[in-house]
Amino acid sequence: MYAYDAYDHALVKSRVAEFRDQVERRVKGELTEEEFRPLRLMNGLYLQLHAYMLRVAVPYGTMSADQMRRLAHVARKYDKGYGHFTTRQNIQYNWPKLSETPDILDELAEVEMHAIQTSGNCIRNVTTDQFAGATADEVADPRPYAELLRQWSTFHPEFSFLPRKFKFAITGAATDRAAVKWHDIGLIVKKNDAGEIGFEVLVGGGMGRTPVIGKTIREFLPEADFLSYQEAILRVYNEHGRRDNKYKARIKILVEAMGVEEFQRQVEEEWQRIKHIPIDVPAEEIARINAFFTPPPLPVLDDNVPSVDDLARKNFVFASWLKNNTNPHKVPGHVNVTISLKPHGGIPGDATDAQMDLVAALADEYSQSEIRVSHEQNLILPHVAKKDLAAIWTDLDEAGLGTANVGLLTDMIACPGLDYCALANARSIPIAQAITKRFDDMKRLQDIGPLKVKMSGCINSCGHHHAGHIGILGVDRKGEESYQLLLGGSGAEDASKAAILGPGFNEHDIVDALEKVVAVYLGEREEGEEFLATYRRVGQQVFKEAVYDAA
Amino acid sequence: MTLLSLNGTVAGEWGLLGENEAPAEGANVAVSLERFLSAEEEFFESAGAVGVLVDTETSYTDLAPLVNKLSFVAIDFPAFTDGRGFSLAVRLRKDLGFKGEIRATGHAIPDQALFLLRAGFDTAEVADERKEAFENALSRFSNFYQADYQGRASVAHERHTPNEHRKAS
Amino acid sequence: MAKKLKGPQMILANYLDDGRVVFFTEAGGWSASPTEAAYAEEDAADALLAEANKSTASNLIVGAELIGATITDGKPFPSHMKHVMQAKGPSVRLDLGYQVSTDWEAR
Repeated sequence: MYAYDAYDHALVKSRVAEFRDQVERRVKGELTEEEFRPLRLMNGLYLQLHAYMLRVAVPYGTMSADQMRRLAHVARKYDKGYGHFTTRQNIQYNWPKLSETPDILDELAEVEMHAIQTSGNCIRNVTTDQFAGATADEVADPRPYAELLRQWSTFHPEFSFLPRKFKFAITGAATDRAAVKWHDIGLIVKKNDAGEIGFEVLVGGGMGRTPVIGKTIREFLPEADFLSYQEAILRVYNEHGRRDNKYKARIKILVEAMGVEEFQRQVEEEWQRIKHIPIDVPAEEIARINAFFTPPPLPVLDDNVPSVDDLARKNFVFASWLKNNTNPHKVPGHVNVTISLKPHGGIPGDATDAQMDLVAALADEYSQSEIRVSHEQNLILPHVAKKDLAAIWTDLDEAGLGTANVGLLTDMIACPGLDYCALANARSIPIAQAITKRFDDMKRLQDIGPLKVKMSGCINSCGHHHAGHIGILGVDRKGEESYQLLLGGSGAEDASKAAILGPGFNEHDIVDALEKVVAVYLGEREEGEEFLATYRRVGQQVFKEAVYDAA
Repeated sequence: MTLLSLNGTVAGEWGLLGENEAPAEGANVAVSLERFLSAEEEFFESAGAVGVLVDTETSYTDLAPLVNKLSFVAIDFPAFTDGRGFSLAVRLRKDLGFKGEIRATGHAIPDQALFLLRAGFDTAEVADERKEAFENALSRFSNFYQADYQGRASVAHERHTPNEHRKAS
Repeated sequence: MAKKLKGPQMILANYLDDGRVVFFTEAGGWSASPTEAAYAEEDAADALLAEANKSTASNLIVGAELIGATITDGKPFPSHMKHVMQAKGPSVRLDLGYQVSTDWEAR
């Protein structure tokens, strides 16, 4: 993975010194709160319901075991012993003090971590496929390009005060695990007939009040033009994005208002003007960054591991874990392990400092000291040899990290909701807990099969409910929490918006309603048909009738 | 208020022309863009040099036909969060090849000093009590991930430039 | 412009330093306990806010706002769900809110 050189270190260090100075000036009153707020947001520091919240970047969801250990240390020393992994592959701490945040950032900088631009009206963390560089189905590892974007977008003089936040996602596989079509800019790595790398560029995707699926404005952008093209898009957005209304300020609104053809024309025109200026980096820099992502030298091993099969035969939970929590690797005899942070009855995406330390230790021993965060709020150990799976699972299971539910109904995305978030209208976590307890039955979950349930506690959609096979949206209905069901969304390459089913439910009835939806699916499905396919085939009506049937 | 130089350019003295005032012989004057556009050809002939005052709503395309006649552009930030001012300066430098002084006025805050510099601003009009904070901000970073229009190479280029050819930090 | 609230109101803010939720008291200070808060209606509420904002000016607190209150036995408690959450702490981690910690003192 990428390692800082002296330049990177100096930049992060200067940034921490700058923030330390800003905090001092704020405390003294030399900066007003109105002036300070965007500055602290650009360092990932929110003021939430109960306390500050610090969002630390995990660039494109990749980190080292040492970095994970530092995250555990921060949780212990400065917070309350845990952190929350997010739908943008970052980690959030819920209880830091303003006065201590510069110290936190200093300690993070020591291990090449930061909280730069994880909030604010600027370019945020670039997210990607959690199996990047390790999966059999990849055209190319997208992470070198994510790193290029990270550097290009960091402290960009022109684009640090955009109309609104700006989110990139990039995938290197046709199977889109990064939800690129739901981002302000989505990038798909491709190869042309000559085997040269290029990118399909999509713009104007986004969730929130007005969910939109991104539109392609360039089918194949050559590697050498990568950054200058993004710059052209950002310049058009910076100049023309609305600044009068926060709810109409994202690029998706601009693309809809202009029309995608006109938007594309303006971008291409701008790009023609700037493509010869040194925005794009020299070829040597691309080569330098690529070198950090050289696949680790894994031995080719036997895919057939009798000891693993034996354990699977004896132990149903391990068999489920093997089936659901491992994914095929490029190199025979290896898999990528997904550690579920969704224990039934637990808080989705949370991990204690002890759990983080364990994951780090397992990474050192079994996954080349590398860890990933997925946008579905789980952790990944890539590059794992199959022969080590029993040992890994035993340790995970003991630490409450062995839930075998990845990709199943209880592997829910849930935002922190009204328990933590100042923007929320309703609580998410207790609903997730109730749902996962109701479905706390591996055989039943296995029978239901792959099903993505995604819940947000408000329309800001941090829980991606628009992209859920089943989405749940918490709203405030006359001072009471109410939960709406949506069906048929997808965050994958077959992106679609979930459609609302009908009136909302209270916190108890929503669980029953969800069960009814599942029952309809089980009744309607054809042999081997997964939920989303059944829904798309039979339509909404049969679900609606079952859920709202008064009898 | 005080005028701060971001890059060593000496801030010019530009007299703001009153409503019905005509420029004095050889005087450097500044007017709103509207006034400049609506004035007769000969109106500014007696002036030494002419500058315009614009804000973040101004499109660089409005300035394009005027660039050869202008010596000075002041861009007013109605709010420091309005990032269009940076793009406007970039356009003036890059698209229009403007070589005159670009000055930031209005609500830019000290923490934006380096962004202003690297987007193409030469000077900034700042509150007296904030001058020191602006100056401190200018020396906060000495390397940058992006190439800028003042000629500094980005870190990406510096990394691959042989030592003897690197610009001094 | 926020709509003017009807009925009894109290003032909620966050400490600048650690962001914890506090309520403006009769004594002109801040307490994490909502039942110790001052409350008032109409113009008197506005006057209370003006008093509370002295702490904004001194950089002790941020975000001071008038919020709706329900009065029980002469003691106020927030009425709106969001402010109830702020008064009580996260419902899913009853061990964690500042309300249960022992390391704070009213300022």
